[in-house]
Amino acid sequence: MHGFWQTLRWCAFGTVGVLVLTFVAFRLHLSFAAASFGALLLLVVQSLSGNFGSSVVVSVLAVGCLDYFFTEPLFSFEIDSPFDMMGLAAFLITGLVITKLVTKLRNQTEVSRLHHERLQRLYHLAQQLLALEPDPKGGSPFLEPFCGTLGIRSVCLFDAASEEVYTAGDAGDDLEKKTGDAFIQGKDYENHEQGFSARCIRVSGRTIGAIGFEGLENADLTAGPLAALAAAHLERTHSFVHASRAAAAAQTESDRSAVLDALAHEFKTPLSTILTAAGALREVECLGPQHRELAETVESEAARLGRLTSRLIRTARLEREEVRPWIELIDVSSVLADTADQYTRLSATQRISVIKDCESTEVMTDPELVRLAVSQLLDNACKYSTPGSIVTLKISREHNQIAVRVVSSGNPIPPNESNKIFDRFYRGTDGLRVGAGSGVGLFVARKIALALGGGLDLDNDPGAPEGTIFRLGLPVPESERVE
Amino acid sequence: MITLTQPCSVLVVDDEPALRKTIRASLAASGFSVEEAGTGAEALGAVKQRPFDLVLLDVNMPGASGIEACRQIRAFAPGTGIIMVTVRDAEDDKVQALEAGADDYVTKPFRLRELVARLGAVLRRTRTDIGEGPRVLQAGDLKMDLDRGQLWKAGRQIHLSPTEFDLLAVMMKNQDAPLTHVKLLRGVWGPEYGDELEYLRTYIRMLRKKIEDDPARPQYIQTEPWVGYRFRNPSDPDQPPSSADDE
Repeated sequence: MHGFWQTLRWCAFGTVGVLVLTFVAFRLHLSFAAASFGALLLLVVQSLSGNFGSSVVVSVLAVGCLDYFFTEPLFSFEIDSPFDMMGLAAFLITGLVITKLVTKLRNQTEVSRLHHERLQRLYHLAQQLLALEPDPKGGSPFLEPFCGTLGIRSVCLFDAASEEVYTAGDAGDDLEKKTGDAFIQGKDYENHEQGFSARCIRVSGRTIGAIGFEGLENADLTAGPLAALAAAHLERTHSFVHASRAAAAAQTESDRSAVLDALAHEFKTPLSTILTAAGALREVECLGPQHRELAETVESEAARLGRLTSRLIRTARLEREEVRPWIELIDVSSVLADTADQYTRLSATQRISVIKDCESTEVMTDPELVRLAVSQLLDNACKYSTPGSIVTLKISREHNQIAVRVVSSGNPIPPNESNKIFDRFYRGTDGLRVGAGSGVGLFVARKIALALGGGLDLDNDPGAPEGTIFRLGLPVPESERVE
Repeated sequence: MITLTQPCSVLVVDDEPALRKTIRASLAASGFSVEEAGTGAEALGAVKQRPFDLVLLDVNMPGASGIEACRQIRAFAPGTGIIMVTVRDAEDDKVQALEAGADDYVTKPFRLRELVARLGAVLRRTRTDIGEGPRVLQAGDLKMDLDRGQLWKAGRQIHLSPTEFDLLAVMMKNQDAPLTHVKLLRGVWGPEYGDELEYLRTYIRMLRKKIEDDPARPQYIQTEPWVGYRFRNPSDPDQPPSSADDE
């Protein structure tokens, strides 16, 4: 409608111009040629501002006036002279061609001006977005420049990574829904009548979100570049979040390392003092047997505390560091017997028995790490099994592995947790199983087993659901391997 | 507990006064004459003032590290036995200490008898180090004749390849001392070696098969995790407690 009234206005101006020119030329008794020239000038001027439609109307009117007032017979539309007829035809054609050319040129200029303006806005927007500090929390502040720079009514952004919807401006529910739909369907959306447009945000083929606009001019041309800008900013934010997390994690690790070192030093030095003092006390000759026993208790308990501290620190280190085993040929049954012996001496309620089912129990492994992993399994077995029951260490040969099974009774691990218990920091959902612990013990034990070329699994016997069996597999030496 | 046949002076260097005092009292009761130092610089000052038979030096001290102090003391007093006290179980500290010239190390927390055993072993080594040393080495039921290149175990001759013989000779000459991989590789294979851990492991495995009663439970060649190996003399009077007891 707007275009029609505009054309009508230009027609009216042109008509008035032609009538005034005709009146003046007629009163001045100008010739047909001179009047034609004047009319042509008028047409050119008119076409500088009007459109082609109005120019056609004005041209036809001008031809009518020239015919009526300036060609013989005057005051009639008839034409006597074929020259006049040719002149009028030439006028009409020239007028229309010039008008057409001028209008076309003007349109092109206008389009390039719009292009330029649009580019300028996009450039400003890009500048503003770059100046924004990436905000790990969300995208709303980043949408403000879209409204400010481009004069859009409202913008809506869906970030697939965080599954968050951000809006700026006066956004209705409709815009959010259409933006979400565009992402789900993976298709851009355009509705000229309602002034909606939505674009998927893609980065190297992946759709990472969608952006919707309400009241965006020239959406066909502008929405694409805007989506690209949004993609760049979103990627930048994601990288920033990623980098911040990584930096925070690195900081945490380094803090933890510092704490561990301090702990190691702060605990072990006083323990050394106690051990040395207790050892010296024991040597004093005038001590009675009771006092000597007391000194021995202090020494052995302090030594135990020392072992626990060392193990704790070692486990904590192995949890985050790569396990570097020192592999050599050992008799694993002797390592296990030593470890079991230690537990039996320490625990008043638990007994550990070692059963050896095979001739040779030699393995290529790291004895310290095996000791650590088995201690972890024995810890758990003692902690969770029925008090007074026997924990069994079964050693057997299975294909190219020596299998060490830690068998305990009571308080079984629920089947749905059997895969999760080896996860880092997993503590169990069953309240009964949550004892003192960091939740890294089994994780570290499995890490050790894998580093030693073996494995650690829950190997429960379906026939005896009331017990727990962990199986630690260790590779036999190459010379004893069978195909 | 060992008994000292000759007077022995020990310098105890640790930044923790309580530990220094306790070690001093305990060692004094065993017949050592003990002095204390709180820092590496103080220790160096003390060593420059008078000779010590042994220095017990903590690795982790404020200021100049124990490792640096060890290097300086070693440079000033080559005949002094240095035992470093480490706090970490693993890896680098011990190797660094040995490379800086320490004769041995103990790891906190340690028992008194373990400490005294280490002190005694180092003392014996530093006192017998002078001169060429005997040409026939003995440990437990092993007897090695360096001149004739022969080894006997309980009177029965054991045949060793030349490399095996050299390796065992280096270890038997340094009985009870921890030997780093690098030191063994360079001492046996030559100065351009140092990273070839596989060589060493293979030869140690073969040696254990030949000289140990049970290669999987070695009596002579003990592994020092992350550091190297230590040749133990089973009939040694100051055998430190076995690792199973004190793991």
